[in-house]
Amino acid sequence: MNTSTSSCSPRRWPLAAALGLVALGLALTACGPQSQTPGKPRIALIMKSLANEFFLTMENGARAHQKAHADEYDLLANGIKDELDVAKQVELVEQMVAQKVDAIVIAPADSKALIGVCKKAQDAGVVVVNIDNKFDDAVLAGQKIKLPFVGPDNRKGARRVGDYLAKQLKPGDKVAVIEGPPNAFNGQQRGLGFDDAMNAAGMKIVSSQSGYWETDKANQVAAAIITENPDLKAFLCANDSMALGAVAALRAAGKLDQVKVVGYDNISAVQTLLKEGKILATADQHADQIAVFGIEYALQLLKTKTAPADRETPVDLITAESLAGK
Amino acid sequence: MQNRSRWHAGLTEYLGLAAALALLVLVFSLSTRNFFTTTNFTTIANQIPALLLVATGMTFVLVLGQIDLSVGSVLGLCGSVLGVAITQWKWPAGLAMLAALGAGVFCGAFNGAVSIRWRLPTFIVTLGVLEMARGAAHAVTRSQTQYLGSAIDWVAGTNVLGLSLPFLVALAIVAASQFALTRTVFGRYVVAVGTNEEAVRLSGIDPRPVKLAVFMLTGLLVALAGVIDTARFQSANPNAGLGLELQAIAAAVIGGTSLMGGRGSVVATFFGVLIIAVLNSGLAAIGARDETKRLVTGAVIIGAVILDQYRHRLERGRST
Repeated sequence: MNTSTSSCSPRRWPLAAALGLVALGLALTACGPQSQTPGKPRIALIMKSLANEFFLTMENGARAHQKAHADEYDLLANGIKDELDVAKQVELVEQMVAQKVDAIVIAPADSKALIGVCKKAQDAGVVVVNIDNKFDDAVLAGQKIKLPFVGPDNRKGARRVGDYLAKQLKPGDKVAVIEGPPNAFNGQQRGLGFDDAMNAAGMKIVSSQSGYWETDKANQVAAAIITENPDLKAFLCANDSMALGAVAALRAAGKLDQVKVVGYDNISAVQTLLKEGKILATADQHADQIAVFGIEYALQLLKTKTAPADRETPVDLITAESLAGK
Repeated sequence: MQNRSRWHAGLTEYLGLAAALALLVLVFSLSTRNFFTTTNFTTIANQIPALLLVATGMTFVLVLGQIDLSVGSVLGLCGSVLGVAITQWKWPAGLAMLAALGAGVFCGAFNGAVSIRWRLPTFIVTLGVLEMARGAAHAVTRSQTQYLGSAIDWVAGTNVLGLSLPFLVALAIVAASQFALTRTVFGRYVVAVGTNEEAVRLSGIDPRPVKLAVFMLTGLLVALAGVIDTARFQSANPNAGLGLELQAIAAAVIGGTSLMGGRGSVVATFFGVLIIAVLNSGLAAIGARDETKRLVTGAVIIGAVILDQYRHRLERGRST
């Protein structure tokens, strides 16, 4: 913090930091674009990486919702640059509490590291709603707090994609999973969902490796897996960008017809591939609605002061048929 | 200039790298079923052109005693421009590729010109461009991956003896770059500026055009890499090339390029790229756990540089 200079004694720095936060909060409020009406609740939306199509869609959905309900609440939307920049997100929560917002709707970058600061926010009287990436249940229980979760069940969604794939395979077929980053909770959940489906159908998972959500990294891994397992029948990718990388690896190996690919997220770039059958299926979590559900729930909690409970948002299976049906 | 001793040691230099590479190939061939196959080697060959081109540019930059941290983002931007030009603006493929190459050269020129004009370290300028180019890539694509279909399939799809056009082009560029670095006046200037910029200036040569040219060249190579990867994946992702700068630096450093400038070889960087590519492919073929991959990759980078230190001591011992 720029206010805690070297002359501050260790005992005084929390005070200095608090003053700094307040000053920062004031500065932010003063120059913020939101015109504030007294009595209208202010909701802070704290997002993960805005560099990610999924979160951008989520934020745009929230902004559109706020515009349509401008008389009901004010929205302060903030995101971090890098999906894994946990420290920055903690700072954002602190800033929003200092700004005395009424509610915080947060898609945490880490399912454990953000709990402490969210508890502080709750203790300060701010309604906290967890969206997209669920906080760790064990840690929540350990801290004896409840933070309502509004969002999709990634494991269930991936299970549905996997089940659809399994119908096109024979038991005993070899498959490989391209996972998200090892520390991403939603990635882990999708991996587990794929595993559930493949194990239930009796498939053999020959390899599970991370493609770090990226096309090029997934491509490298997928190419090596096909070479090592020439009789592979399918790739299950934890997001669509990685599915694009797997498809490119199959095209290079001349195996597009022999190996099926499924993804997750239903980004616009895979629409054509779904129709052409190069990607068999993906899952749509309705990114534009997730933040909106969270905001609506926060508003409801502010009004009714009811006890918070989790709410699951829909995940749809997307295939060539479902696209044709639209 | 220690030109003669370098030529003398040239053979042993590549032998060392080739031995390291052979060792890796041996290890992976013994530990997997299908590593030592033509299919696998052509797969690896067709995967490396982008990294090879970027690392070649990076070698020039490092020999010049500079650094370019923006290469990954610029690759993302060039791919994004190409993708959007084809899918949204409906430009013909040729024109779209020219626009992508232009974007790369522009970024390179910006890096060079700004650091020359305000005498800023290229570390700072390229760090700024790393951010700006990534932002521009997201702005131009609205953060959405662009699917190109078969619009520029010929770029990556043309094969000669199982080797893709990009790989052959990259090889030709490596050869031309090595020639330029070691046998042309421009190359000598690059080495001289990297060794002692002040001495170059005092001997009546303006180092600034050399600097600008190297950054523009790097921008062009990075853009070419962006075009190749976009064609290979049939899609342009604004996040493409994330962390590529570190891979390119690692490849150059494994090849013995000095971060202090004045020393480096494009052919040695090529070996560095091969070592990284074989390592990536082999670890994936084994199905190594993610943490193992990172530990091994990091250890190989450091090990290669330590090995390089020993080679240099030998070299010095021989030349005196």
